[in-house]
Amino acid sequence: MNSASRTLGAADLAGAHEEGAGLAGLDSAPRQGPPWWRVHGRSLTVVLLVLLVLSPFLWLVQLAFKPAADIFGDSLLFVPTLEGFASLLQGNFLKSFGNSLLVSTLSTGFSLLIGVPAAYALTRWEFKGRDRIALWILVTRMAPPIAFTIPFFLAYQYLGLQDTVIGLAIVYLTFNLAIVIWLMQTFFEAVPASLEEAAWIDGCGVWQAFWRVALPLTAPGLAATAVMCFIFSWNDFFYALILTRTNAITAPVAIVNFLQYEGWEWTKIAASGTLVMFPVIVFTVLVRKYLVRGLMAGGVKD
Amino acid sequence: MTHPTPFGLHRRSLLKTSAALGAASLLPGLPGLAAAQGGAKKFAGVTLNVSTFSATYPKLLQQWLPEFEALTGAKVNFDAPSFPVYNQRVDLELSTRGSAYDVVNVTFIYSSRWINSGWLTPLDDYIRNPNLTSADWDLNDFLPGARAPETGKDGKLYGIPWTAEALLTASSRFDLLEKAGLAFPDTTDDLVKVLRAVHKKERVAGFVADNHYGWTFVPYLHAFGGDVFRKAPDDLFPTLDTPEAIAAGEYYANLLREFGPDGAITYQPDQVTQALKLGRVNFTDAGQLHLAQLGDPATSKTLKTVRFGQVPKGPAGRFPGTAVHGLGIPAGSKNKEAAWAFIQWALSKQTTRKAVAAGYGSPARRSDIDSAEFRQKQVINGSDLAKLSLDAIELASKTGHMKYRTVSVYPQIDQQLNKAIELIASGQLSAKQAFQQAQANSIAELKRAGQKL
Repeated sequence: MNSASRTLGAADLAGAHEEGAGLAGLDSAPRQGPPWWRVHGRSLTVVLLVLLVLSPFLWLVQLAFKPAADIFGDSLLFVPTLEGFASLLQGNFLKSFGNSLLVSTLSTGFSLLIGVPAAYALTRWEFKGRDRIALWILVTRMAPPIAFTIPFFLAYQYLGLQDTVIGLAIVYLTFNLAIVIWLMQTFFEAVPASLEEAAWIDGCGVWQAFWRVALPLTAPGLAATAVMCFIFSWNDFFYALILTRTNAITAPVAIVNFLQYEGWEWTKIAASGTLVMFPVIVFTVLVRKYLVRGLMAGGVKD
Repeated sequence: MTHPTPFGLHRRSLLKTSAALGAASLLPGLPGLAAAQGGAKKFAGVTLNVSTFSATYPKLLQQWLPEFEALTGAKVNFDAPSFPVYNQRVDLELSTRGSAYDVVNVTFIYSSRWINSGWLTPLDDYIRNPNLTSADWDLNDFLPGARAPETGKDGKLYGIPWTAEALLTASSRFDLLEKAGLAFPDTTDDLVKVLRAVHKKERVAGFVADNHYGWTFVPYLHAFGGDVFRKAPDDLFPTLDTPEAIAAGEYYANLLREFGPDGAITYQPDQVTQALKLGRVNFTDAGQLHLAQLGDPATSKTLKTVRFGQVPKGPAGRFPGTAVHGLGIPAGSKNKEAAWAFIQWALSKQTTRKAVAAGYGSPARRSDIDSAEFRQKQVINGSDLAKLSLDAIELASKTGHMKYRTVSVYPQIDQQLNKAIELIASGQLSAKQAFQQAQANSIAELKRAGQKL
């Protein structure tokens, strides 16, 4: 520290001392600073927005733990009970839940298995009608599900695929394939082709270049795509409604079955609704670090 | 491992035999089915696929299936999803003439569509055949008013009713009327007088109804002298823009607007029941099966103040709504004879009596309705729900005013009625505007459906 700075420091200290002396008599006055709403306002707004978004979920969860007699009660205070969840164990809901898991996993797995190489081929290889093929694949997402219901219904009757988990997984494959192919095309486009060309020069075949170079580089996109497929399969109600009866009923249809003719089974609806949210939440949390990167990929062009 | 009994029979075999013998003794009148007849089970090896919507009666049948299986040798897959799920699935299944189901519920609102499209099997030949139907099965024991919606234009029967339900009026807080010195309202004018006197007393709203107005409003439409069609089922020209229909719409929407709780036009059937059970709303019109829940001591807070009556009569009279569901056989079924055996068993006097004993509250057999056992259970706080319901069904049978409900194009008009009442009750349109709009839309919808007007 040089002398100038020391002098300056001393003067500052002296001045500060004088100011301090001057403020000594104002100890009880409020401290100056930004008002509380500026300090905490942003946080408060975020909390309120989050609460607003979460309110239907929170409402559902608290209903799941309410005794049946209090479901329509005025009070928000209640003694939590597990009777809603316990009643699900007595029925077939867990089987439906398992069916949903199986169908969604199978459909997602098969969609990735078929869709990822297809997307790679459509991205990297030039051939006649390439764009048209991609567009036709997208048609399965453009048309409303009802358009495919009757053909599937009749075909499944003939093939004996009605009310089977495999049958339902195949149906979901049709709309998930479009998601996989179109999303993965974007991710493959973001990978420089020169990397795969370098792999070829190093002795890799086309399949090896895809497997060892392109696929690892698109892992975040793959994760994002898998989440999308899983959520779409998990949430489907319409196809499951039409194409299942007893054996392959999925959770969304099982929940609607709690709307009984003489009255709705509210505790079961709330408990099953709460359970149904968890697999998707868990799956999304597990892949969240890939998810953001995957969804952002290709957003900025170099 | 099973242990042999002292007589050399295995425990499971013994149980099966006992069940068969027990069932046979319970159902002496099912010809050709009893194991005693030659020892052979007539439908051994047959798998019957039965589908109904989930309700009390089908649930009881599901419990008792081993009895039928032991008696006939048939195996039964009984599927009972919720009402909307069931209707969607079976409507599609029947329309493709598939053979997936052998027995289905003939849903009231679809009965005309399903019967007149030839998607169901006429049951008359089975009923008349003494080799297939016992003499004491007694078709005539089923209420004529319950058989009517299951009968086609050809006069043949396509479904055997398992439930016959009436739309009745309830007051959850009748004590408020008594305090005001008023009686249960009998007419539409009485109802308004009563509601003016008790609305918001002790924070209880006056009136609410299930927002399926194509069901809850129509008794008022008829009471004011209006109708849905010019003359169902022959002349299906809509009559929603008549002065009577507009007056009924104005009256009914006003009940909801002036005496309803907040959000009255969003109430679903179960919400109506819960609101009345908690005593938050005083009056409603609802089906007997929903209203009976007000008599449940475990969940109803208005058990000691509830009172029931007929829907109010208007200038043109009283026209209670009725709803009937029956069991029928799809045209595509490959096991029709076994399916008939199932229906015969499911709706035999023995089975329906057992259901009544188990607490079933909406039988379609007169012998059940008249039984002391049923009547005793149906009296709630002094009101005899069974009698009210029976009177309503018989009245509907005499006047024939429910014919509007089972014509195949009613669902289109039903939607228009729902919309019209909502538009008036929410103040968006006057009754005249709303009903004229409903009329125009209905005509367009019917033409689109290929209906010649």
